[in-house]
Amino acid sequence: MIWEGLKTAFELLVSFDWEIYQIILLSLAISLSATLAAGVPGVLFGILVSIGRFKGKRLVKLLLFTFMGVPPVVMGLVVLLLAVGPLRPFNLVFTRTAMFLAQFLLVLPIIAGSIVISSERTQVRILETATTLGARRRQKVTLLIKETKPFIFMSLILGFSRAIAEVGAVMLVGGNIKGETRVMTTFIAMNTSMGQFGTSIAMGGILLLLAFLIHLSLSPFRRDFYG
Amino acid sequence: MVRLKNVAVTYPALRITYADTEFPKNAVTIVTGRNGAGKTTLLKAVGGLIGHEGEIAKEGFATLHFQDPVVFDRSVYQNIVYPLEIRGRDVRAYDERIHEYARLMSLEEKLHENAKELSAGQKMKTSLLRSVVFEPDILLLDEPTTYLDIESIEELKTLVNTLKNKMTIILVCHDRAFNEAVGDGVYHVGG
Repeated sequence: MIWEGLKTAFELLVSFDWEIYQIILLSLAISLSATLAAGVPGVLFGILVSIGRFKGKRLVKLLLFTFMGVPPVVMGLVVLLLAVGPLRPFNLVFTRTAMFLAQFLLVLPIIAGSIVISSERTQVRILETATTLGARRRQKVTLLIKETKPFIFMSLILGFSRAIAEVGAVMLVGGNIKGETRVMTTFIAMNTSMGQFGTSIAMGGILLLLAFLIHLSLSPFRRDFYG
Repeated sequence: MVRLKNVAVTYPALRITYADTEFPKNAVTIVTGRNGAGKTTLLKAVGGLIGHEGEIAKEGFATLHFQDPVVFDRSVYQNIVYPLEIRGRDVRAYDERIHEYARLMSLEEKLHENAKELSAGQKMKTSLLRSVVFEPDILLLDEPTTYLDIESIEELKTLVNTLKNKMTIILVCHDRAFNEAVGDGVYHVGG
């Protein structure tokens, strides 16, 4: 069956079927834009939590780490409830904007949390070193961002991986509408439920291939991360 | 010069008090005390990294060199000149001094290598030179011999003895031979 799936994947790609390419492009566009949009507040929040000395820091970290594990379908439900509730005037239900919003909220704590987990100690030490060498506030921030770059990069990769691979949130808020909100994961879920396992495996293979190509294209720029 | 008067540092489950004293200029004072007595805490308080009660009077800028220092992701040379750059000083004017210190610490050949890729001892030397290149008024050294081999400790003795006529040095170190070679006075913490 796997061999059959790989054959179908190849056929799908060389068939130049616009629907397939549209699904792939939409998946990439939504996941990439949600990750980049969540990157700025996520990284800043992660750095602030790491270096901040404030009351309730432990609770903030506990909540942050909890939200890193929110099931996508729950996040989809939250966005759906918002869309039919307070955000009703914006007509978000079954739209790409709702899919973006769900992935944005899903990825935000992953980016912030992974920054804290991976580099809290390093950030504090960099900040202390800069302070004791006489750096001013802006110089400290610049140094901190420069020295935290590998961790920022890793957190964005984690966020994107989560976004591109999730199905629950985009299925709920996007509705898997052909030509509108259908992405790779919802395509796979739909075909699996219809018993078309070969097509599902094919799209799964394409998804993995895309993830591999993204890492491959980034690897020359971050040798500290990829080795 | 650094003067302590009624200084105390309080942690959630611990309060450390320090006897009043004056650390003289142009001398190396060794801070002694058992593990956990509060030696590093004293250096952090003098370096302005933690809050304290009482008065710490300092003549000039104090820089603290950590026991487990971080080097920045750039060349050894760029690490060393960082404190000069942030002060807006002309780095070229310090080139001779940087090479002299680097030669003294056997680090000259590594000046253009990325500091992150060096051994722990070489990272230690890099951060030590970064802490002293701008000749701070007060130098606080926390276990500077950590990670250093015997030859490097000898080099560090020479460096500290070279610097001690230019600044106030407060040193925490468990290497008795090193302390005897560079120390001018002792300040005991705890008990």
